[in-house]
Amino acid sequence: MTKNNEEPRIGVYVCHCGTNIAGVVDVENVATWAKEKLGTQGVVVSRDYKFMCSSLGQELIEKDIKEHNLNRIVVAACSPHLHEKTFRTATSNGGLNPFMCEMVSIREQVSWVHTDKVIATEKAKSMISGGVARIVHHEPLQPMSVPIHPATLVVGGGISGIQAALEIADAGYPVHLVEREPSIGGHMAQFDKTFPTLDCSACILTPKMVEAGNHPNINLYTWSEVEKVDGYVGNFVATIRKKARKIVEADCTGCGICQEKCPKKVIDDVFEAGLGYRKAVYTPFPQAVPNYPVIDVENCTYFEKGTCKVCEKFCPTNAIDFEQEDELISIEIGNIILATGYDLFDARKVSNYGYGRLANVFTSLEFERLTNASGPTGGEIVLRDGKTVPKSVGVIHCVGSRDKNYNEYCSSICCMQSLKFAHLVHERSGAEVYNFYIDIRTPGKGYDEFYLRLVEEGTNFIRGKVAEVSDTARNSEEEGKLIVQVEDTLVGKQRRIPVDMIVLSAALEPRADAKEVGKLFGISCSANGWLIERHPKLDPVATMTEGIYIAGCAQGPKDIPSSVAQGAAAAARVIGKIQKKEIELEPIRASVIEEKCSGCRICNNLCPFNAILFHEDRMVSEINPALCQGCGTCVAACPAGAIIGTGFSNEQVLSQIEGLLMLNIEAAATD
Amino acid sequence: MTELQTVDLPTTIPKHKKSLLSEVAARTAGKSNIEMCIQCGTCGGSCPSAADMDHTPRAIFALLKAGVRDEALRSNTPWMCVSCYYCTVRCPQDIHITDVMYTLKNIAVEEKIYTDSTAPDFSKTFINMVENYGRSFEVGLAGIHNLKHFIGRLPGMTPMVIGMLTKKGMPITPPKRIKGMAQLKKILKRAKELEAV
Repeated sequence: MTKNNEEPRIGVYVCHCGTNIAGVVDVENVATWAKEKLGTQGVVVSRDYKFMCSSLGQELIEKDIKEHNLNRIVVAACSPHLHEKTFRTATSNGGLNPFMCEMVSIREQVSWVHTDKVIATEKAKSMISGGVARIVHHEPLQPMSVPIHPATLVVGGGISGIQAALEIADAGYPVHLVEREPSIGGHMAQFDKTFPTLDCSACILTPKMVEAGNHPNINLYTWSEVEKVDGYVGNFVATIRKKARKIVEADCTGCGICQEKCPKKVIDDVFEAGLGYRKAVYTPFPQAVPNYPVIDVENCTYFEKGTCKVCEKFCPTNAIDFEQEDELISIEIGNIILATGYDLFDARKVSNYGYGRLANVFTSLEFERLTNASGPTGGEIVLRDGKTVPKSVGVIHCVGSRDKNYNEYCSSICCMQSLKFAHLVHERSGAEVYNFYIDIRTPGKGYDEFYLRLVEEGTNFIRGKVAEVSDTARNSEEEGKLIVQVEDTLVGKQRRIPVDMIVLSAALEPRADAKEVGKLFGISCSANGWLIERHPKLDPVATMTEGIYIAGCAQGPKDIPSSVAQGAAAAARVIGKIQKKEIELEPIRASVIEEKCSGCRICNNLCPFNAILFHEDRMVSEINPALCQGCGTCVAACPAGAIIGTGFSNEQVLSQIEGLLMLNIEAAATD
Repeated sequence: MTELQTVDLPTTIPKHKKSLLSEVAARTAGKSNIEMCIQCGTCGGSCPSAADMDHTPRAIFALLKAGVRDEALRSNTPWMCVSCYYCTVRCPQDIHITDVMYTLKNIAVEEKIYTDSTAPDFSKTFINMVENYGRSFEVGLAGIHNLKHFIGRLPGMTPMVIGMLTKKGMPITPPKRIKGMAQLKKILKRAKELEAV
């Protein structure tokens, strides 16, 4: 008997999922069993069907609800992650409250993880028994609805973040674009050419940067970082730390005289990848947006020694302000897009390739700067002495990728990037190029054609992961060269190939602070450190936290077209949310029974969503239902049992366990 | 909905046979990961003996995977391995390559399939030294091995041997037995018992 004294009339629906479930579980047997053995629990109808999620399957439920006067539905099929919404809708279409439907996962938890058919069938039965025992205690719930703030926070001003910001701003909604560096542009601004079309990176990126900089709907916060995020979907409050530029933006015209006059040269290990210099007051590159510079306090002579102020003397608009302090800005937003990008793998870790030890071993980003027309060499490919043009270049693929010693994953862009490098060497210096690869991976529009073009250009492709790069010559031919020792696996012989220059196609890695960023925004990272999407195929830009979206390399290694596509996709999701004006939240929430709460505050810090508020005056905790995601951590932690989780009451959970153990059936049998 | 037709499918799927690869994996101590080879060639590129091998270690793994038993076991590759462990340290797939080389030698000796019988004999001579002295004795090993198999090589090697002896790169007298020979013998005996299983 249920709480409101209504006799439970339950319908059980067992899905075949084609052969996904039916191939392992005897679904017909399970359905017949449920009707027979669970009849005493209130099961009135029990059916199996090839695809419950099909419209015919859903109609079956709707029809049964009306014909058999059902008041509860149990669907034994896939994970609720996939189809809970489908079956709640069907339940609702049948005239019931949608929360009177319970899903039992006999695919992910049974057929996909078991091979023994008999045991799998028995397990499916006991899980359905648990679901039936649980649903008896379900109560109708009403979804909550909260308004959506029309502004969006985009974190990261690389190509993905720029694209997302522009899409949303063009749709007429305000965007706050936060970038850690002094200019937006990201990694793409460092490149010279982009594969496979070889169009100039700056030529296609700069217009977008300028547009983002001038857009009336975009607030640009460069040299800034998000420090704190409060609130929940539709109603976030973010605190942004605007680091002191020591430049009054309103007065600066971006004339560049300060940079010209500054006497302090600093190695630029961010934009120039350590291959060039900048001044202590600088904009990272000529097309920087915004174009006002930043004073690098750590290297500025004035901040080091107390005198200099050359920039201040020469500034025609008195825009230098050495006293400027960091500023904390609080903004209200409805949605957040994280496009925080990637870090390059530290190639020093592969000591046998000699980066950092052998001068003429370069990383991919260094080589990008070498080939860049506005880079330190003006686009000349030369050795580290700054003048010698290499006669032969070796490009090593998969450095730090596809290797259990470093990163197991494929960084996905390196093959195409390495082909591009080979092309640029051919084009600029005519040197002999050797590409050392394990597999050539060129899945993409026009990508494999590009590979064939490089074959035609006469690139020496050697199939083998390089064992080592050394400068120890064994004969006169190797003297003064870098020797690549590798097994040419297509020949089955070890080869030693002397070259003048080595380029390491280093892996893309998650940002060093990806875990902290994940924590700040309440989303999680994969074991490798990439931000996790809601579903790897069907929901690649949303996350498990409502209102937080991800785009670009923050989600995993990807090339420019995919980063742009994800930026636009995340924007489309956000625009859709904004246009709806309000959002319905799952009513699966925890709540505190004030009379029972002792004010011990144990739950306060455990909550991963910062949803628990403590009332100092009354000494009780309260849960903000909009912030709560219904994870149940506090429910389990409360020593006084003062917190209840809607949809996960003790009654519901304990009877589900009893059902799983088939205690309900035994009890019915002995009655 | 239309009823599904029963279709006759051929049932001539080959019977499961224990593969060469799994046999080698099973006989290798610990987890060899040999099935994880992606044929990248790091081992062959790193190997200091690769020039003397008829197959690179990578090629041996391909042969094992393809079930080409005779060619794999007859290969001189494991016998040329000097156990420097370069390949094992660098392997991106964490394959215990050196250990697999020992397994291949074991099988080859057991089934007496090797191209050059002097190679296994060299190992036996080496083990005899270890069993006698508890350590290696290079002059004795080289002397016995060459006297047994390559007596003609000895004159040519004389200058090198004299050089090494005069510069004290190599002692001429047999080494002292290690302390605790009795314990070593017990260890080796136990190891042989385990191997027999």
